[in-house]
Amino acid sequence: MSAPAGAELGSKGAAARGVTRGARSTTGLGALWVAVVALLAFMPYLVSQADTSILLNFFVLLTMATMWNLLAGYAGMVSIGQQAFVGLGAYGVLVLADAGFNPVAAIPVAAVMCAAISLPISLLVFRLRGGYFAIATWVVADAASLVISSNSSIGGGTGKTVPGMSSLGPRAFEEVTYWAALAVVVVAVGLAYALLRSRLGLVLAAVRDNEVGARSAGARVATARRIVYLVAALGCGAAGALLAVSQLNVQPASVFGVQWSAEMIFVTMIGGIGTIEGPVLGTIVFFLLQQNLAHDGAWYLIIFGSLAVAIAIWAPRGLWGTATSRLRVQLFPVGYHVGRPRRTRDVVPEPPAAPPAASTT
Amino acid sequence: MAPLLELVHVKKRFGQVTIAEDVSFAVEPGAAVGIVGPNGAGKTTLFGVVSGDVRPDAGDVLLDGRVVSRLDPAARCRLGIGRTYQVPRPFDKMTVFENVLLAAQQGARARGPESYAHALAALDSTGLAPDANRLAGSLGLLARKRLELARALATQPRLLLLDEVAGGLTDLEVGELVSVVREANERGVAVIWIEHVVRALLATVDRLLCLAGGEVIGDGDPREVLASPRVREVYLGTDAAVGESVT
Repeated sequence: MSAPAGAELGSKGAAARGVTRGARSTTGLGALWVAVVALLAFMPYLVSQADTSILLNFFVLLTMATMWNLLAGYAGMVSIGQQAFVGLGAYGVLVLADAGFNPVAAIPVAAVMCAAISLPISLLVFRLRGGYFAIATWVVADAASLVISSNSSIGGGTGKTVPGMSSLGPRAFEEVTYWAALAVVVVAVGLAYALLRSRLGLVLAAVRDNEVGARSAGARVATARRIVYLVAALGCGAAGALLAVSQLNVQPASVFGVQWSAEMIFVTMIGGIGTIEGPVLGTIVFFLLQQNLAHDGAWYLIIFGSLAVAIAIWAPRGLWGTATSRLRVQLFPVGYHVGRPRRTRDVVPEPPAAPPAASTT
Repeated sequence: MAPLLELVHVKKRFGQVTIAEDVSFAVEPGAAVGIVGPNGAGKTTLFGVVSGDVRPDAGDVLLDGRVVSRLDPAARCRLGIGRTYQVPRPFDKMTVFENVLLAAQQGARARGPESYAHALAALDSTGLAPDANRLAGSLGLLARKRLELARALATQPRLLLLDEVAGGLTDLEVGELVSVVREANERGVAVIWIEHVVRALLATVDRLLCLAGGEVIGDGDPREVLASPRVREVYLGTDAAVGESVT
């Protein structure tokens, strides 16, 4: 992308400049991520079943947090009702499995259904801003929970077991659900990254900095927000679908619980809102704390709460944002950099006397 | 040939204050029009009406003979109306290049290398190219004003609305700015320029409108408009800079 860009710019010596994404080479980062995903794919063979199950829950929460970060950190929409799509995704799998679908194959279908449902919901909640928007999303989530609970054909308030997975042995079940979760989180983070690198990402950044200026420069703000809302519903729906498949039981009080939003917000805040890396780091911290403190009962919630307050006060950019503010490290480079063509050996040396423009035209 | 822009009986009030009382005028493609008037005359509001930031109480805005009064600012920008704001509105946490690239990708609907070319050309013509990788939030006032202009140019406008881009600049800086605007105008971009720095206007425009009390009280050759008794009456004692340049 970068090398031909420099070649096509004809005017005023622009040919001497190349436009690249991020200030540094990205090939090394790509290799890093491929290695990380490959290592994670082998985890079921390397660690215990209990650890595999913890990793699966890690992927589920990271998927949700990445979506919430897109909403709040990039599009400025603080939702506390994303559990609406977690629950609908879970019930999507349940309904499809009841109808004879393979539950794992039902995950993407349920996620797309959630995105489709989010469109009419967006028409409703987008009429509100800020705190009112947040409350409205919660109301929508509770309404969805009530509608599902009152429907006895899908288990009513007590929930129902997801059929169709019993043919797998316990070992195979563990592996299949793990890989499904890994696939979902890779697609979720990859989608968020692609979105932020695209023209839409630039629009979101501009709207965050100055909405009036963005509109006057031609940015369609409402469309951009709606796309993000749809993607967030898609991702949270996939996360909910994973819950249904891995827990084999769907209960409205659990999948529509507001604790999902609390966890999404918590890990995004402590990791660093408005960066792709933030939720990743935040989710790691969350799981480390949970594994080490869970046996101390209520204390671990108190520690979580204190940590969130401390970070909100002293490090509002989160752990990642604070750690990298001086280093300018980016594991997911989304910005642009104007410079000379990256590979200087590609530039033909100019004879000293010739005017700069002569060699380019 | 239909005029590029036409305002038809535009009326706007904020509470009891009348900002525009039946304002009508037309601008031909490629024209260069200046707007002067005392503070509070409704000049900026008029730009808002044209760009879509302000909805008039009555009247219509036509672009290429087509009514655009119901369109939002983004849609009007995409139709060819580029504007700057009196107080610059940079995207602080984005680089200068990204600021302008957004305008090229959204306003001019360009993609990939084409959008890079539009953005770099806008930076070149405004002299911001050396600052391409700086964060816009770190720029000084002059650079911010240039960025505002670069962003409007990158949308590839057919009509450029400039709201006091020369205010607060030194003579030398004003001269540079005038040449940027004239260059755009010579490429066929119609310019409407609100400015208190009248010498900048006189160097650029071939037609001048004077607004006062929500009405157009002068319209025509810049020097004749500034010399007319009614315009002088409105200005005397209210704006020293204009008072000087008129006499």
